[in-house]
Amino acid sequence: MTTTENTGAPDYNLRLYVAGQTPKSVAAIANLKKLCERHLAGRYNVQVIDLMKDPALAQRDQIIAIPTLIRQLPEPMKRVIGDLSNSDRVLVGLDIEPVAAPGIDT
Amino acid sequence: MAAEGCVLSDHDADDELARLTQPLPDAEETVRAIYHGAVDAVVVQGPRGPQIVTLKGSEEPYRILVDRMTEGALTVGQDGTILFANRRLAQMTGHPAEDSAGRNLGDFLAEPFADLMRHWLEFPPDRAVRHEVMMCRADGSQFPALLWVGAIVLDQLPALLITATDLTAQKQSEQIAAAERFVRSILEQASDAIIVCDRSGRITHASWAAQELVGRTPIGLRFVEALPLSGMETGAERAVTPVLDAGAIVHHLLAGQSMRNIEVRALWSWRADGFFLLNGGPLLDSHNLTIGCIVTLTDITERRRAEEKQTILVAELNHRVKNILAIVRAVAAQTLVRSLSLSAFKEAFDGRLKALSLAHDILTSIRWGRVELDTLVDQSLAPYRAPGSAPRIVSEGPKVLLPTRAVVPLSMVLHELATNAAKYGALSVDCGSLEVRWGVVERNNGRWVELRWIERNGPPAATNIREGFGTKLIRRSVSYDLDGQADLLFAADGLKGTLAFPILEDPATSSAIATARRGASAGAE
Repeated sequence: MTTTENTGAPDYNLRLYVAGQTPKSVAAIANLKKLCERHLAGRYNVQVIDLMKDPALAQRDQIIAIPTLIRQLPEPMKRVIGDLSNSDRVLVGLDIEPVAAPGIDT
Repeated sequence: MAAEGCVLSDHDADDELARLTQPLPDAEETVRAIYHGAVDAVVVQGPRGPQIVTLKGSEEPYRILVDRMTEGALTVGQDGTILFANRRLAQMTGHPAEDSAGRNLGDFLAEPFADLMRHWLEFPPDRAVRHEVMMCRADGSQFPALLWVGAIVLDQLPALLITATDLTAQKQSEQIAAAERFVRSILEQASDAIIVCDRSGRITHASWAAQELVGRTPIGLRFVEALPLSGMETGAERAVTPVLDAGAIVHHLLAGQSMRNIEVRALWSWRADGFFLLNGGPLLDSHNLTIGCIVTLTDITERRRAEEKQTILVAELNHRVKNILAIVRAVAAQTLVRSLSLSAFKEAFDGRLKALSLAHDILTSIRWGRVELDTLVDQSLAPYRAPGSAPRIVSEGPKVLLPTRAVVPLSMVLHELATNAAKYGALSVDCGSLEVRWGVVERNNGRWVELRWIERNGPPAATNIREGFGTKLIRRSVSYDLDGQADLLFAADGLKGTLAFPILEDPATSSAIATARRGASAGAE
């Protein structure tokens, strides 16, 4: 599954490895969508890879635990392991500048 | 590395160190994630390459339980994002389960309830709450659902646990039950007979009035058995030609045809004289398919009787007015011819009109029914009875009911005889007397009245009677109007006459008048 949310080349090229419909995989997809919409709106591309369908794809990014999120671009490559429920950790892990919530003066 | 003879600068050494140490944070990150339960699958190297092993913890049975439960279940993050949705919710909404995660719960709720969801997210309920909402399907349609909403903590973050119960079937049941109650209240209150049949023509519902009509509950009976009836031709003729029977009526209605204001006649024994106005139509389901029929029967028996009575009365009135005018015309003409002066004409004509009027008064008083001969004789002779003095008029005979049509001519005849007696006969002198006696005899295979008019001690008849219109009227009236005969003997001391006529009544006249009398009685009540 690939989600492209910009009209030109995306700033962030993300790849999420999941294992079918396991709870953490489902949660990771949901959490990533939410996070991208909020902090990377229009600037990201997400590719969801289901390793249940093709486990061999795990070798490409040396995946050990699932779910794992890989930031391919911008370089350097970064990875965050887990269901991405802690958005602060994800933002730090991917080196993304948080977008302030609407109406909050930062 | 130095053994390979390479000389590394400090910078190169740092990069190499970074490359070599890179897996370490990844491994640490992996261990941390597993330790905190943030992953539930790992990749292991098997003989045929990488394999995925899911970490089925102690919660796995519960996850399966939730996924397979018959109610919709979902967890929602603090911002309304669906974190997990089970299969049942996917079935209810039409959104695949894998597409539900990541969507906003607001996408599944109709507009006014999305606000409610936002409120729950902002102020998570201390205790679980239930609320009926309208949920949206993927195709845009909506359905009622009962939400159970409770606050939970997922990974140290507040979230909502929601179960959703599809209320579509329950609401439909409630609507059906409400409609059933509505229909029942109509059936209980309606004064008309209302019958509902299924597609086989069997009665499924009946109003109280319909049960009264049938005499017992008709539920379960076939319409044609419970209410056998025949449709009538309508229109001016009001003929009794049946055009439809109950079976044909039900057949028409079940075929989708409506029937409006069809007059039908009851064919069941205890209402065999009943007439009803039938209205009916097919009973349709939500797909416009005929699932039965509805029939209403309005009792119009009394109205129809009244109409029949009115028709008969108008015809009878017309007939009588014509007859009376003909009589008046004939009386006037004949009296005029035989009168010697205008005053004589006036006197004679006036007396005859009074006799006519008297006859009508008697008929009206008994509503054009049968009149007793005794009454007619008494009324006709009343002007000649002298009050206070010794009676010289005797009238006597058994009780005889005269046919209605005999009253007017007999009244005229009695008037002529009495007038003649008063002017020229026994009643014209103080010593004269009159006997009027009658009886019933068998003659010509029928019952006849023989009435004898006997004057005594009067002036010689030869000088006190004129063979005038009076005598002619007597003979002709008895002969033609009463179908009898009059024998008049002008004796020395007065007239001796015998009037004989049958008392058989014309059936048609009898029926018409009997109907008129019933109508008058009903009106009086």
